[in-house]
Amino acid sequence: MAQAAMGGQGRRVLFQQGTVLKAVVLALLVALIVLPLIRTVMFTLHPDTVKAWSDVLTGRLSKNLFYKPLGNTLLIGVVVATACVLLGGFLAWLVVMTNVPFRKTIGVMATLPFMIPSFAAALAWGSLFRNDRVGGQVGWLQGLGLDIPDWLAWGMVPTLIVLTLHYFSLAFTIIAAALATVNSDLVEAAQIAGAKGRRILMGIILPVTTPALVAAGSLCFAGAVSNFATPALLGLPVRMQTLSTRLFGMIEVGQVGRGYVIGILLVLISGAFLWAGNRIVSGRRSYATITGKGGRAKRFDLRGARWPLCAVAAVVLLSSTVIPVIVLTASSLAPSSANLFSNWTLHYWMGQSDPSFAQGIPGIAYNEDIVRALTVTLGLGLAVAFTGMFVGLLASYTTARFREGWASAAITQISFLPLLVPGIAFGAAYIAYLGAPIGPFPALYGTFALLVIAGTAYLLPFSVQTGRAVIQQVGGELEESARITGASFGRRLFAITVPLAIRGLAAGGILIFVKIVRDLSLVVLLFTPTMPVLSVLAYRYASEGFGQFANAITVVILFISIAATLIANRLQTKSQPWLQN
Amino acid sequence: MLEIRNLTKRFGDFEAVRDVSISVPDGAFLVLLGPSGCGKTTLLRMLAGLELPSAGQIVFDGKPVSDGDRNWTVDPARRNSGLVFQSYALWPHMSVRGNVDWPLKVMKMPKADRTRRVAEVLKLLDISQLADRYPNEISGGQQQRVAIARTIAPKPSVLLFDEPLSNLDAKLRVEMRTELMRLHRATGATTVYVTHDQIEAMTMATHVAVMNHGRVQQFGTPADLVDHPETAFVATFIGTPPNNMVPIVRNGTGYKVGGRYMPVTPPADDCLAMYRAEAMTLSDSEGETTLPMELVETSAIAGRMMVTGLRDGLRLTAIVERAPEARIGDTVQFCLPQRPDSWFGPDGERIG
Ligand SMILES: Nc1ncnc2c1ncn2[C@@H]1O[C@H](COP(=O)(O)OP(=O)(O)O)[C@@H](O)[C@H]1O
Ligand SMILES: [Mg+2]
Repeated sequence: MAQAAMGGQGRRVLFQQGTVLKAVVLALLVALIVLPLIRTVMFTLHPDTVKAWSDVLTGRLSKNLFYKPLGNTLLIGVVVATACVLLGGFLAWLVVMTNVPFRKTIGVMATLPFMIPSFAAALAWGSLFRNDRVGGQVGWLQGLGLDIPDWLAWGMVPTLIVLTLHYFSLAFTIIAAALATVNSDLVEAAQIAGAKGRRILMGIILPVTTPALVAAGSLCFAGAVSNFATPALLGLPVRMQTLSTRLFGMIEVGQVGRGYVIGILLVLISGAFLWAGNRIVSGRRSYATITGKGGRAKRFDLRGARWPLCAVAAVVLLSSTVIPVIVLTASSLAPSSANLFSNWTLHYWMGQSDPSFAQGIPGIAYNEDIVRALTVTLGLGLAVAFTGMFVGLLASYTTARFREGWASAAITQISFLPLLVPGIAFGAAYIAYLGAPIGPFPALYGTFALLVIAGTAYLLPFSVQTGRAVIQQVGGELEESARITGASFGRRLFAITVPLAIRGLAAGGILIFVKIVRDLSLVVLLFTPTMPVLSVLAYRYASEGFGQFANAITVVILFISIAATLIANRLQTKSQPWLQN
Repeated sequence: MLEIRNLTKRFGDFEAVRDVSISVPDGAFLVLLGPSGCGKTTLLRMLAGLELPSAGQIVFDGKPVSDGDRNWTVDPARRNSGLVFQSYALWPHMSVRGNVDWPLKVMKMPKADRTRRVAEVLKLLDISQLADRYPNEISGGQQQRVAIARTIAPKPSVLLFDEPLSNLDAKLRVEMRTELMRLHRATGATTVYVTHDQIEAMTMATHVAVMNHGRVQQFGTPADLVDHPETAFVATFIGTPPNNMVPIVRNGTGYKVGGRYMPVTPPADDCLAMYRAEAMTLSDSEGETTLPMELVETSAIAGRMMVTGLRDGLRLTAIVERAPEARIGDTVQFCLPQRPDSWFGPDGERIG
């Protein structure tokens, strides 16, 4: 005890612990997320542009500008959300609760469609189902001599199908996670009480999973109403507009004020549904945590329906993953999408410019635009992965370490705000925010920096989530017990924090990389010819009728995304000597 | 000397620790005892220097190490104290040896000394054979030993434990209890030990501080707490089985004890009477001081019987030589001694 306070040089604690850090993080988040949104609203309220509100809401053109697109948007949202919950719920039930053959495979395949950008599926749909209504090449089925009706080739029906095949995978993930918490004890207790299959489903399983169903429905709704690529590729050629394509169109033709107004309304709609879904879910008690862990010993026996149900699942899964990839690949090799599987050529990949072929556009390997876009896209992905993980880690460290106070609550709320904002509206907000000079800072429109800043802000909800998981792994007492030994901040960082966190950080960074590489809706408005990115180039080629180039670029994006996702999965699950069990 | 003076910790408006003052001599084994959420961990973390007090001082050996009034604190590493976390907080990417070694490395201890010291503490805690395993490859009890080894390796003069045994199963808990007391004798370090288990407190402590709602209810030796509880909370929290607390209400000229008129002379109109379980008896018939209770539990304890009765929310426990004839659910007459052991006021303070 004699030496207890030896060398006891104390220090004064000047600020309340964490005040400085909280202030810095809060300022950063306000600058990244709150200001762009406020600036967009302010822009539309400016005396010169405030008329845009009445134009959109009550003017002569309002029906075409807003109400018809609104109707389409809501229809898409409701139908896609319903279909996704049914389809995702069905697959989740098969995988988690029954003895369907190939359960594990179905489970893995059902998570894949969400990894594939939705414009890939839309492009693939075009290559198969296009008819001659709008001119240009026809699709494979028409080429085979089938007469594809307009409603199947263009507009609402294909948009609904493609979006459902994209977003059901999100619903699957959420519902399967909830079903997995329905302990087999719970079901067995009901069986002992004498309940049979239907009663168990309606009386036990459904009530317990309702919060997950609602959450899945509202997320799919928000995703579907804000999706840009699919209605743009399948609907615009026949003048079917949604709010997001309208927003895009308005800004393209320079009617910026009206565009922003539509963007604000779109944010309100998708935000309202997410908020409502959240209210319904949080109004209920969460049941999931009540049960302990229990192995699912017994599965529901499908008997004779095993193989038929497996076949249904296979059809859904193949048409949402394997078929689009095959079609895109084939169509990037076939001179005519009417003959997808003949006369294959590598011209669209590595041909030199040839005036008699595709109006002289060289294959993507020799196409300077595309090569530049590839570099920009990869650079953007890396930059956003770094900045995103940095900000995400900082924000989640701050809120984990200093929980109390309004500032921490504000940091959490703001960092999840972009979830409510559709990508295309976020892009529009960033044009309003940084498109013109602010004080001493130059306008960033058309610069790499703008893409990086907007991408970082847009993906902050994901990076904060990843950051949280990492902090939970290493934070708290593990770090404190190192602090007590007297190790300096740097030493703790390199001996304790980094070794424990590195894989989580890398995996999180890769996921952010993938999200930005395959994103179209955020960057489509920020795109400039000097700063091209792959997804926008693919979209442009497709809308100008050069489907093969679009498809080839999409295959490249798919390849990058899938490879990166696999690496991330490996990092996350790869055995670590101290995690083996 | 370890001194805590008027220590308070606020989280926002919430006072987790309120005006705590305790002091113990060198080499003491101080137990902070209280139900979950009463502020034990918060107090311990202030002692370790991980939290800054909102008010009050902590003084190790006459030298202040934390001063909430001046927002002044000595770094956790400079206080010569060691903390064993409730979660153990073993670094999962270091072997057992690595975990014990690293703090010494940080102290810049020479390599040869380090190797010797690591071997010494591993042996002291009987885990030498586990040196090269990783934390997830050993059992909970072994992890506990590693956490202790890591903490004592730098020879801190104050050792802090946060509910170290709460994650172990019952048998292991008893063994580790003995082990920790042996360790305390071997190191001689002043120890502060947090627990919600009153048996642990009674067997291990030289000094106990019973806490509730952030306040110290009573501070004293284990024998003090049993013989002379200061508050009704302490009286019912300490002892196996716990003491009986019977409400007394004045009604007209007489007093109702647990609902029946009895010839008692309480020091106040409304109060609580404490009866020790070993002073209670069972009786076959109604008497002047009997209370009819529904028999809910009997269990054998060290050759005697512990009998529990319940009525209208009042729970009474008696230790008797032989089990009653009655069966569970029957009515049994619990006989109170003529005078209660102590009186407590309605606010829980002792009044006689
Ligand atoms: N960092 C904190 N922020 C806010 N409240 C806290 C914090 N730490 C502890 N508390 C609160 O202080 C009270 C005492 O907590 P604690 O000291 O952990 O109790 P014990 O260890 O006795 O179970 C609890 O009500 C807890 O919720
Ligand atoms: Mg505690």
